[in-house]
This record gives sequence, structure tokens and C-alpha cells, in this order.
Amino acid sequence: MGVTTFAAIYIGSYEVSLKVFEISGKKRIHTVDFVRSRVELGKDALYGQPIGYELVDSICDMLHEFLRIMEGYKVDDYKAFTGPVMRSASNCLFVLDQIERRTGIRLNLLDNSEHRFLSYKCVSSKQEFGRMIQESAAVVNVGGGELQITLFVHGEVLTTQHLVLGTMRLAQLVGASVRLDHAKRQMKELVDKEMEVFKAQYYQNRTIKYLILTGDYSLEVMRRMDKNLDNTTVDAQKFSGYLKRLEKKESAQIAEDLNISNETDVLIIPSLILYRRIVETLAADAIWVPGIDISDGIAYDYALSHRYVKPVHDFDKDIISAARSLSQRYMSYSQHIDALVEMSSLIYEAMKKVHGMGKREKLLLQTAAILHDCGKYVSFANAPECAYDIILSSEIMGLSYRDRVIVACIVKYNTYLLDDYDEVSDVLDQEGYLIVAKCASILRVANAMDRSHKQKFKNVRASLKGKQLIISIEAEDALMLEKTMFDAKAGMFEDVFSIKPVIREKKIYL
Amino acid sequence: MEKTNIIDYTNAKYYENRELSWIKFNHRVLSEARDKSIPLLERTKFVSITSSNLDEFFMVRVASLKDMVHAKYKKPDIAGLTATQQLEKINLATRELVDIQYSTYNRSLLPALRAQGIFVFDRMEDLSEAQIKSAEHYFEEVVYPVLTPMAVDASRPFPLIRNKTLNIAALIRNKEKENVFATVQVPSVLPRLIPLPVEEEGHYAFVLLEQLIMHQIGSLFSNYEVLCTSPYRIMRNADLPIDEDEANDLLKEIEKQLKKRQWGEVIRLEVDDGVDKELLGILKKELETAGEDVFKINGPLDLTFLMKLSGLEGRDELRLPPYHPVKVPELLDEPNIFDAIKKGDILLHHPYQSFQPVVDFIRQAANDPDVLAIKQTLYRVSGNSPIIASLAHAAENGKQVTVLVELKARFDEEHNIVWAKKLEKAGCHVIYGLVGLKTHSKIALVVRKEEDGICRYVHLGTGNYNDSTAKLYTDCGIFTCSEAIGEDATAVFNMLSGYSEPLSWNHLVVAPIWLRKRFLKLIRRETRHALDGKEARIQAKMNSLCDPDIIAALYEASAAGVQIDLIVRGICCLKAGLPDVSGNIHVRSIVGNFLEHSRIFYFYNNGSEEYYMGSADWMPRNLDRRVEIIFPVLDRGLQKKVRRILDVELEDNTKAHILMPDGTYVKPDKRGKVLVNSQHQFCDDAALALPAEEKIFKDRVFIPAEPVKDED
Repeated sequence: MGVTTFAAIYIGSYEVSLKVFEISGKKRIHTVDFVRSRVELGKDALYGQPIGYELVDSICDMLHEFLRIMEGYKVDDYKAFTGPVMRSASNCLFVLDQIERRTGIRLNLLDNSEHRFLSYKCVSSKQEFGRMIQESAAVVNVGGGELQITLFVHGEVLTTQHLVLGTMRLAQLVGASVRLDHAKRQMKELVDKEMEVFKAQYYQNRTIKYLILTGDYSLEVMRRMDKNLDNTTVDAQKFSGYLKRLEKKESAQIAEDLNISNETDVLIIPSLILYRRIVETLAADAIWVPGIDISDGIAYDYALSHRYVKPVHDFDKDIISAARSLSQRYMSYSQHIDALVEMSSLIYEAMKKVHGMGKREKLLLQTAAILHDCGKYVSFANAPECAYDIILSSEIMGLSYRDRVIVACIVKYNTYLLDDYDEVSDVLDQEGYLIVAKCASILRVANAMDRSHKQKFKNVRASLKGKQLIISIEAEDALMLEKTMFDAKAGMFEDVFSIKPVIREKKIYL
Repeated sequence: MEKTNIIDYTNAKYYENRELSWIKFNHRVLSEARDKSIPLLERTKFVSITSSNLDEFFMVRVASLKDMVHAKYKKPDIAGLTATQQLEKINLATRELVDIQYSTYNRSLLPALRAQGIFVFDRMEDLSEAQIKSAEHYFEEVVYPVLTPMAVDASRPFPLIRNKTLNIAALIRNKEKENVFATVQVPSVLPRLIPLPVEEEGHYAFVLLEQLIMHQIGSLFSNYEVLCTSPYRIMRNADLPIDEDEANDLLKEIEKQLKKRQWGEVIRLEVDDGVDKELLGILKKELETAGEDVFKINGPLDLTFLMKLSGLEGRDELRLPPYHPVKVPELLDEPNIFDAIKKGDILLHHPYQSFQPVVDFIRQAANDPDVLAIKQTLYRVSGNSPIIASLAHAAENGKQVTVLVELKARFDEEHNIVWAKKLEKAGCHVIYGLVGLKTHSKIALVVRKEEDGICRYVHLGTGNYNDSTAKLYTDCGIFTCSEAIGEDATAVFNMLSGYSEPLSWNHLVVAPIWLRKRFLKLIRRETRHALDGKEARIQAKMNSLCDPDIIAALYEASAAGVQIDLIVRGICCLKAGLPDVSGNIHVRSIVGNFLEHSRIFYFYNNGSEEYYMGSADWMPRNLDRRVEIIFPVLDRGLQKKVRRILDVELEDNTKAHILMPDGTYVKPDKRGKVLVNSQHQFCDDAALALPAEEKIFKDRVFIPAEPVKDED
């Protein structure tokens, strides 16, 4: 038929939803049905409490209904996800298991990074996105439990920050018992505190052109506004002015103004307060609300991975540029890094048949190469551990938490000897351990070759010959240090690949 | 302009009480019964309608007013009247209505019927001997066995007299010369009209059952002497839910009082006007009826038997020729209804056009292999509904069928439960309405998986999915496969299934949340245009208009200069033609052979005209306590057709009554004008819309083959 019907199920911090899509060449990704039901997981789970059985029951009931609806549309495939909210519940694994036993639906647990990345992916598929990030833009994704801000300048990711600040969390923090005007003030203070720190740390006096905003009710606010000349964005000052006027009203009045159907939703006011503070802090010129949510992201990701749609944005480039600016932030960026990335890529390519890894792993290796020195910002003596911690705590749009663990371990074992699997099995699965071992040994060899950080090589080539990896180089300078280091670092490479790296030097005399 | 600021449009003096307005509507219905241009048996039907209308009015409206009085609820209504004041006025007005009802029956209909050889005897004395013989024979054979006479004495208490039943009260004397009260119910299982033999062919004669029983009452109380008899009938404040038209605080108030209230209090006692004083005294005492609730009737009680009479066989010349709804031109050449809808939106105008396409829509969906799901709301359906059969069939065919059955549809509750269970058995997903809201919207959605993806076909209507009433009620409906409306339709059913409301709507306007605001907005937009000196016009057709907010907004619009034409069949609490308030508002009511039922709303909108149709009247209950859908008519071609409907109804000078500033309704002056009867006109329109060959009645004829001739 040429049309694939796909369904995305998502369990968020305050809502269980099912979105049915049609994916085809002609219509691209088209929403057919969107069913939402209020189930407030966040009330228990955001604070690490277990999710109660009543909630599990209502989730299961909902999912049974969803299965019926999906059957009604004869969906070809579906994906079910749940967000960070489930992860933070103390009985997360039991709940997931119960849900699967009772409904047959296996929920994929997204971590915050994956969650934001899915939405971001979908935003990036829009035409306007490319244009905006080429200038400068902040992509802000507001959820129930947290929000994430990614800054782009000239098409490159500058930083991604994950703030533990969401609409549901705000509503919970302030509580229902407080008088509305007090509640509003408290929420504002909470948001201000976080946003100020963010601004001081990552934003300073920067200005950006576009703010790309996703989150509930943002589209409704957008609809009330006159569009700018580009027919897509609205003026940021007008936007925040309108929000300010709205904030003064009762939620019922706001709901009427915005044509929101559920006027008793306690999340309306927190959303508006958050949006306004974000808009004011980031001081963008114009605001674009693409009106997509996580379900659109899931569908887009599905379409992408099944090649129903072509990718329009290079996410790998985002990762590299994000890693690079992270490296800059910790003052570890230098020409050595570029040389190292190049060198490790070279070895990676030459060893392809031996290591059997793919494009994704290469990206992780490159990321590790870029970040391998960032720990020195904190401590020279404990640089590997510090780098490990920095990487684990930094959001890099496009990398999941597991990805980040791998990158952090590659960096760590660039310096230290590889631990046995048993020692690291708490953070790495076996597959991840192998990736770490392989990439770390490549990185060690590549790093050894530029030990003096002076890039003494030219025209480096690497090729496999029998049991040897021949790295031929042209050098003008003395390579004593490098050669010594090389032998010291090559041991692990041999252990992992059963291949011995060898340097063939061709001295150039000027 | 300045005046608009001074006048308080919510002042009670600008409003008509809804009950009194309703009684006026019944006067209009009754005036049809006196219209000599209408065939005789059709006229009898209108009397019957007023009679059953009045019964329902007492049971629902008067009962809830009585509750208010008992609850000492003091809040005045829209017209500033308290419940007690309303009851007083209603009492007077209904007596007047009943008087006209019976004078119409006695002085106009009975003589006219006699002239046509149809005799309805209200007294046995008027019967010929042969007729009496036949009637007595009928009594012994048929009536006597089912009668249960009950005498009241020390050991036998006064029996429970059932609501709305016709009874005969008798005062009888035993051998000890004591007067005893007795009562016997006129069996409702037997026909009210008992046919009698006639001498002349083509003549008909009937006697009323209660007369026959009274005539023979001696045989029921054989050891007694019968002193006097009289038929009587009571209306109880049945244990019906409180009418929802009043404010919520009232409901709470009444709930508190409910427990204290005597069960099934009698709110009306009808007796023959010649009733014996002592007999009436006993009835009043035993039934605890106040003097003002006694109606002495000059003629047979409960005139609903006239409905049966209007169907008298063999006298078709005394009725309008039966109207057969014609086919819908868009669907003539296209057996597949979905293909037809694909070609463009289709407007249906019932009963002029057939309701069959709506039945076909569901039937074809049930059998169409590409159809995934059918979703529909059902409020009132016919006895043997083909739609329900199709829905059940669809579920059996593996389609996903979701049906919202409104259990709270008044007087249809039991009926609805029965077939809702049936649907469930067939595998349909049945939703039994929403808590606290009646689902009154009329929407059907068919989801079909086609070559290029999901396509949604939607039917939206102003009337119920009831194939029987669709032949009598004027209603509109549209078929569309517009993506935006399809999305909205899906959202409606998601909402009805208990999921969150959509974040926003494309085209549909849904009550109870958004509809009132939208209507007020649309009205105020016209007001604004008028104040800006632009042309501004509102035309609206509905069954009832009694929402105070809407009326105030209309007054404001009128004062600003908006031209407002309203076609309101029934209750209208708005007062038309009041200087400075409603000078620009014209109200007309069309009462014809078909029951006007469609709701159409038109707003000029400074030239970019907007048409809406839907299930809601401008009544508080429609706007606040029901799920209703109003949908825009977007297609230009369809807009023209809707325009035509409004134009013709606004030109009607035959069946229309114009509301005057003093609150009376008068027929327009027809002198020198071309007569326009909108319902006739629409019949002609519907026929004209068909291609020539369809208009000729195609009779099936078998043509005998000619014998083959020899070549030679």
C-alpha cells in the first residue's frame, strides 16, 4: 500500500499518550489520531518514591485501550517508551515488568538524553530548523520533570544543558495548598534561580537570534500571536509580554484565552512562567514553536531508521561540535586534539576488518579523542578520573547515557590499563566493554604518536599487513618521545586485536 | 450608541417566561387544527399533538415548578417570576388552551367529521339500537374480562391510581343504603375507539371505550345501585429526574427536599365537566388534589385517541397525500457512498430528501472490507433501527465499533438500555454517556484505510439517527471527508471515551465547554461590525431560544443595528420588536405538517459569511449541560443550499407565525402576496434537484415476450 501505520506510546510524568501516524513517501509523517489520558506518575516518581499499584493499574488499563485502538487502525508497528520519570521511581523495574506481563507491551526506558534527542531529531527535520541554527538558535525542550537547552551558533552545537526543572516538578514543589499569587511568586523565584546560574555559567552576555521552543501549551500561546514576516516566528518581546499578561489571570481565564480545553490543568501556570523566564533569560529575537512532541520524535526516528524519510540534519556533526565546545570549556582544546582525532580515525579505518565496529563507534571514539584531556582542567594528577566524571555529567545532544559511559571509559583507559570486565560490569554491559577496549587501544596508539603535542608528523598512513598494523609517517623532527611511548602504549592494542602496531618512519630533510 | 450603555438587557421585563411561551407554541399547533385549508384528518392529528404535549408539559415542567415551590426556592426565572407566580399563570394559560382545544374538537372537528360520515360518539344515547347491541356484545366479549372494578370501603383502601391512565369513578349504593366509592381503570390494552356498525357504506362510527364501560357499569357492581359515574384522569409528579434546565443550586435544594416529598403527588386531575359534586369531592380528597389542579373537561378526556382516528383507513382523501422523501442527487449514480463523498461534501435536507443515505452510510461501512472503525453517537433511535442492526453487523464483521448510547434521553431510557445491551453482545464498544452530561450531538465517523492512507468519513446532523422520525422532522445533515473535520470527529470520540480533550479544535464547536463562548463571540462580532457602521446580520433557526446570555447579546446586537431574523419553532423567551432593545429582531415560528427541527446559524461577518448547523438550541441545557456539536458549512455550494433554506423559511407566509411586540403570534398578512409554504416549497425543490428520469415513478413491469413469427 505504500503507507505504514505506526503508533507511538509514551508514558510521561503526567500523561499517557498514544499517537497514531501514517508514514509514506507522499504524506511523509502524518498524525492520524492522538489519544491522551492524565496519569500523574510524576507525583510519586519524581521524588524517588515507588509508583503505587493504582497508578500501575490505570497505566495498564490505558495500554489495553491503546492496544484496542491500534488494532482498530491496523497499525503495522509500534514503539512504546517511557521517560526519565519512570527511571526515577524506586520500583521502576518491577513496574516495567508488571506492565509487560499484563499488557504485552515492552516499554523502552529513555534516559533524559535520549528523550530530548528524540524530540530534537523531529524538530531538526523541519525546514526552518536548518536556517535558524545557521545563524544562532537555542533549542529548548520543556518537559514535566526537566528541561533541556541546546545552543547553536553557525550551525554548531555550543552546549547542551539539562536543568532539573519541569512543569510538573514546579507545580509539585510549590504545592496546591499555597495561594495562587504566592504560588506564582514562588515558582518564579525557583525558575529565576536556576536560569540565572545557567546564564552565568553558559550564556553570559550572548544573544541569539532564535529560540526554538517545544512543550505543552507553547503552541497555544503561539497561535494567539501575530507572526513575523517569515510567517513562522513571533517577536520574542511580544511573546514574553503576552505571557506576562496571561500570568496575571486565573487559570480558567487563561484557558479561555488560549482555547485550552482543560481549564483546571495545574500545569498551565507553571508552563507559562517557565516559558517566560526562558524567553527572557535567553534574550532571543524571535521565537519559533514547531509544535511537536516526543511522540512525533518517536515516529520520526522510526521513519528514519526504516528509511521512510531521508535525514536532513547531520546529528553526528552536532555531537562532534558539542564535544569540541565542551573541550574548549575545559581548556583542553588544541591542535593536538585535531591531530589525535585524525590519527585515531585513520587507525580505526585501517583496522575495520579486525575490530568489526561501525559508524556509531567511530563517532564515540572521535568524541573520546576530543574530550580525552578535559580532566586536566580540574586536576593534573587525577585527570583521567576527572575527565570521566566531566563526561558523565555533561549532556551531549545525540549521545545517550550509555554512550557517555562508553566515551568516559575510553578516555579513562586511554591512560589507565584496562580493568577486567568484572570490575566495570556495574557501569558497562559486555558489548559496551568491548567497544571501550577496542576504542581505548586505538586511542592509546594514536595518542602515543603525538605525545609531545607538537604534531611532528605528516602524511600518515596506516595499513594492515599480516599480524601487523603498519603506520608509516613522514617526520621532520626527532620522534624519540613518541617512539618510546608508542611501545609502552601498544601492549593493550596487541592484547585486544592480536595485531602489533609498528611505526615506519621516513625522515624528511628540509 | 449611548443608549446601549444605559439599557440593562438582562432586565426581566425584556424576557418572556419559557412555560408561557411554550403554551403559546401549543396555541400555534392548535391553530393548525382549525385551519380549514388543511385536510380534516390532518387537523385531528394536531389536536392529538397538543394533548400529548400538554401531558408531557405537566409531567416535566409543572412538576418541577411544584418541586420548587415545595423546596421554597425563591429565585425568580428569566422573566422575573417566582415558581408560585409561574404556576398561577400557567394554570390560567393551560385552562385557556384546553378550552380552545375542546371547542376546536366539539365545534369544529366533530361537525366536520360528521359531514364526512365519520361519527365519534361521546354518549351512548346517540347510538342507534343496532349500534348499542353491537357495542354491548363487544363489551361482554372483549371489555368485561379485562376490567378490574375496585370499591373503597373500610377494609379496602383507596387504590393506587396510575399516572396518565383513564379511569371511571362511580358512586354506588349498597343494600344498606350506604354510598360507596368505586373506581375502574379503562383498560389501556384496548383501543379507545370502538367501531360500530353503520348503515351507509363509506361511513364510520365509533364510540369511546369509557362511554361504553360507563353504560355497562351496572354489570360490574351487580349488588349495588349505581348513582353516578364520571371518567377521570390524573397526572402525577412521577419520580422523574429533576428537569435540568434550572441552575445547579436548585438541584441540590430539591435533592434535599426529595425525601420529604410525598411520592408521586397528583398535580392534575381531569374530570368530565358534568361530574357529580360528591364524586369529585371524594376524588379530590383521596387524591389530595387542590382545587386549582382540577380541570373540568367539556368532552372526552385525553384526546390522543385522535391520532388513531387520523390514520383511519379508507379515507385517504381526508389526508395529505403521503410524502415520499426523494433521493439525493449526488448519490444517484454512485452506489458506493464513500466514493460519492470523496467527490465533495453532500448536504441532506430531511424529510424532503431521504434519510436512506445515512442508513446506507453505516450499512456500507459495516460491509466494506476497507473500513476499520465506525463510531457513532445515538440519542433516540427507532424501534427496529436499521442503523443499530448495521452497527451490530459491523462489529460481527470485525470492525471496531464504538457507540455512545445516551441513557438519559428522557422517556427513552428503558428502550435505550435494551438495544445498548444488544450492541454490546454483538461486540460493539458501548459507552453509556458521560456523567452529568447528556450527549445530544449527532455524529457518525467511519474510518477507512485506503490506498493513500486513512480517510475519515463523517456525518454530522441536526437530528437524531432515527429513520422513523426522519420522515417527519425537518433536519439537515452533511457528509464530508474533510481531513480537518475528520480529525475533530476523532477527537470528539476520544473525548467521549474519556481521554483528554484535544489541545484545540479545527472546525467543530463542542458544548458544554466551548459552544456558548463561540456563539456569544459570533454575535458580538456582528455587533462590532454594526457599531463600525458596517452591514451586520444574524439569521438563526432553532427549536427553542431561552438562554439569557444569548438573548442579552442579541438585544445588544439589535440595539447596535444588527439585523436579526430568528426562526424559532417552540419556546422563545426573547421579546421581538421592543423599541431600543429588540427593534431589529424579527421572530417567526413555522408550524407545519413536518416538525421543524433543524438548527441553522448564519452570520454575515462583514461579507465573509459563515454558516453553522448542529444539534444545539440556544437553551442553557444545550449550551451548558449537554455534549453538542455545531459544525460550519464550509463548502460554497452547500452554503448556497443552506442559504436557500433560510430564505424560503423567512419568506413563508402560510405556515409562519410572526411574534409581535406584545408577545402574541400572528399569521402574516397575505394580501397581494404570492403564497409561500416553505415545507411545500422544499418538497418541490427536492424533486426538482433530481434529473428528469428519476422523477418518473419507476414501476416494475414485466413485458411479455411476443410470439416469434414465422419467416413466411
